[in-house]
Amino acid sequence: MTAQRTVPAEASQLAVLNQFLRDFWTAAALAPARMGSFELALEEIFMNLVMHTRQPGIAPRRVELTLSLGSDAVTMMVEDDGPQFDPLSLPPPDLTANLADRSLGGLGVYLVRNVMDTVSYARIAGRNQLRMTKRLAD
Amino acid sequence: MKLRIETLAEVIYVIPEGRLDFDAAPDFQEAMERLLGGGTTQLPAVIIDGAGLEYASSAGLRAILLAARAAQRAGILFGLCALQPAVREVFDLSGFSRIIAVHADRATALARARQGRP
Repeated sequence: MTAQRTVPAEASQLAVLNQFLRDFWTAAALAPARMGSFELALEEIFMNLVMHTRQPGIAPRRVELTLSLGSDAVTMMVEDDGPQFDPLSLPPPDLTANLADRSLGGLGVYLVRNVMDTVSYARIAGRNQLRMTKRLAD
Repeated sequence: MKLRIETLAEVIYVIPEGRLDFDAAPDFQEAMERLLGGGTTQLPAVIIDGAGLEYASSAGLRAILLAARAAQRAGILFGLCALQPAVREVFDLSGFSRIIAVHADRATALARARQGRP
């Protein structure tokens, strides 16, 4: 089972993609408790792309979300038509910093890497492709 | 997200209900700045009661971190309590549990506040 949705790279579209994710989850009869990690990863990755649209010249215009149900895992793929950028190349936040020094950046991608089982990046046919997979059972 | 503020005993409880995502984070941040930044809060402790908080993303976590810093500057004890498992997970993953107090429930948070510890 696979479903795909393309939206403009605009913050208001996250609600559309979230609804798309919920509909997929319901149609696939998956346990609601398992959706949270995908919801979080979707917000973090999509909003990172949207934030780039504030910087002229590196803005993706459209973002495509693909959800696939495998035998024991769900795969979520986010593709965009912006310039090459691998979010996995960002350094992780310093988790040992104290309250005053703790940086506000880098947290979103770090969370995605940790709530998903696998995350991989590829540049294919002029598009950035981030593939995230999580098993449906522990 | 809805936000309620209750004062009970020596503690101000901030009660977010729903989702603390990129959309809700700016309003939440502003409310916390009003509460913690202007010298208006006379009580010794501010606790975020997370019982009704279903979801938090990095945008929400950043707003909580900024609130914790504002509280530290103002000399107000700050912490969270009663986090739902999904929110607790991102809070732990982000390392915030090491720098911001997280209590099991309001009673524990109040007991710590009375001891003058976060």
